Amino acid sequence: MTLETTFVPLTVEELPALAAAKKADGWRFVQILAVNTEEGIDLIYSFMKDNLLENREIKAIQKGAVVPSITDQFLEAFVFENETHDLFGVNIQGIAIDFGGNFYALAQKEPMTIISPEQKAAREKAKKVAAAKAAKEKAAAAANAAYKAEHPTPKEPGEPIVPTGDDDAELKLAGADPEKVARARAAIAAKAKKAAEGAAQEQKDAALEEKLAGMDPDKAAKVRAAMEAKAAREAAAAEKEGE
Amino acid sequence: MGKATVIPFGPQHPVLPEPLHLDLVVEDETVIEAVPQIGFIHRGLEKLVETRDYNQFIYVAERICGICAFGHSMGYAETVEKLMGVEIPERAEYLRVIWHELSRVHSHVLWMGLAADAFGYESLFMHCWRLRERVLDIFEKTTGGRVIFSVVKVGGVVRDIDDAMFAEIKRVLEGIKDDYRQLCNAFLKDSSVKNRTVGVGVISHEDALAMSMVGPFARASNVNNDARCLGNGGYGKLADFQPVLDGQGDCYARVKVRALEVLQSIDIIEEMIAKIPAGDIVVDVKGSPAAGAEAANVVEQPRGECYYYARGNGSKYLERMRMRTPTSQNLAGMATALAGCDLADVNMIVLTIDPCISCTER
Amino acid sequence: MGSFKLGKMTFKSLFGKPETIQYPAEQKTPPPGLKGHVVNDVESCILCGICMKRCPCAAIEVDKPARTWSINRFRCVQCGTCVRECPKQCLTMEPTYTPPATEKRLDSYEVPEREKKAAAQEA
Repeated sequence: MTLETTFVPLTVEELPALAAAKKADGWRFVQILAVNTEEGIDLIYSFMKDNLLENREIKAIQKGAVVPSITDQFLEAFVFENETHDLFGVNIQGIAIDFGGNFYALAQKEPMTIISPEQKAAREKAKKVAAAKAAKEKAAAAANAAYKAEHPTPKEPGEPIVPTGDDDAELKLAGADPEKVARARAAIAAKAKKAAEGAAQEQKDAALEEKLAGMDPDKAAKVRAAMEAKAAREAAAAEKEGE
Repeated sequence: MGKATVIPFGPQHPVLPEPLHLDLVVEDETVIEAVPQIGFIHRGLEKLVETRDYNQFIYVAERICGICAFGHSMGYAETVEKLMGVEIPERAEYLRVIWHELSRVHSHVLWMGLAADAFGYESLFMHCWRLRERVLDIFEKTTGGRVIFSVVKVGGVVRDIDDAMFAEIKRVLEGIKDDYRQLCNAFLKDSSVKNRTVGVGVISHEDALAMSMVGPFARASNVNNDARCLGNGGYGKLADFQPVLDGQGDCYARVKVRALEVLQSIDIIEEMIAKIPAGDIVVDVKGSPAAGAEAANVVEQPRGECYYYARGNGSKYLERMRMRTPTSQNLAGMATALAGCDLADVNMIVLTIDPCISCTER
Repeated sequence: MGSFKLGKMTFKSLFGKPETIQYPAEQKTPPPGLKGHVVNDVESCILCGICMKRCPCAAIEVDKPARTWSINRFRCVQCGTCVRECPKQCLTMEPTYTPPATEKRLDSYEVPEREKKAAAQEA
């Protein structure tokens, strides 16, 4: 037989009835644990019978909320209830052997609920990265939908907008030094600008060619000569800048 | 009726094996009630999971306890693998079982030495630990460490054992069997040992079930629960596994259960060595646990069933890692066993639950 | 009374050699895979700093501008993570333990400049 674990939600009011039912059914008590989350403290009660391990979760208990003890049914729970009270500050009433907060000799009260400043910063950063990723994905999906709406009958399967290599690089940057981020971002911006400029230039040339095709051959020749002279001057200027 | 006196016992006492404090309410050399208290070596290891990523935390998990070190690293790795949905290669599962059973052999032989010391038989204590040195030498040759091995990784194991080494392991285990049988004889057949252990600290079958006891402590009261029957990892490949049970429920029964479990572990090791497949020993694990993912796992450590819980939060640091060790579960049972015993038997009874207080209050 | 349960073992140990050795006069030869202390082959080190990031105890410090690699041997728990993660395989675990000392110290090693590939090709 293999181990099966299940996670089932629970509320504080159902807890005494659950303990009594499990005891009558012959389930074995395994443990109580607490998790410190932002919404409150989650409590998980575990029971085991044969090969089924059932974990019942009570989500988000607020500070000061009263939780009844199950030591009337399961005496060995007193260890875990005292520990939860000492480390997390959960108010559990009616523990059979109650140490009143002195079970562990601690230097600070409720140490598991204390989050140090470095960890807070790390968590904020992780949240920002996750938010950026989510926003990017949403934008990509919206753009994709808009493109599809504008081109209802595509002549050929157009390339869907997928996050390119650049985006991955940017996400990686979001988690690195701010200096590096700034430098890399500048490099990416410069590359994009150059690409955009090149594309814009090409577009302008194409438009010009169209116009010239529709004009007098004389005027067309004069305009073409002027354009070439301008291009040569611009190239010389760019070279000077490049040096 | 005599007057009731309260004697504080521990955390520092020459015969007490672990830093546990007991307030013994005594009337004329008979203990009426015992109230246990722990909390002297709380190191806050569960909070460290917030600053060590899930690969680095395995080294913290190992150091929760020196005797059950491999059990904790294996349990932690299995739980995180369950959390991230990683399948480890078969050879790694077999290697983990072999090291875990060797760990059980060394832990039980260590315990038997301490039990002998508890009732004053010091030369038997020395003989047990001399035998244990052979097992520690195997560990040194295969993993590089005597007590803390650092050989398990999330995704498998990092060291392999070749066939020549397997042959040597078998040779060493055969070599200690003969000496070990003499030690068992001394524990189980010697009349002075029997005087100290038979009928002492009896826990009935109903009480053991009512207090959800675990490990050899419970199996000595005929409670049939052994997490190795659940077949996690390499244990599912065992041909036939029956936990060692005894019905008496006293200290003698607990000594007997542990002594027989050593022989059973040696048989398991030999079976695993014969069946081990060739292949990889580790898979690459990339990425981090998903936010809000949860996993729970149980492992049968030498002292009993140990429960692990992990929850991820999207980053490479786990949100919560919880290890519930067998001794914390057995504390209520110990308090019941102490009620009604003689004052001289207190340390014997405390020792037979195989306490490991550094596991209990990480 | 007296069936000597441990008689055979006791008798054997009267005539065998002792289980213990006279440490520190004699030392046990360590087996080859023993995790003793970490050694860096500075010729191949590229000061990438991966070992510093992976160490669970923050025992290694890599200073790229100053070209030093330092390790606090008393913080190291000989887990072997740095040895496995090094991309140039320049870290190894020697089988002898760090000898006891009276004060903590940081062991620093200079990493020499690696010759550029171009210079090697020219020569």
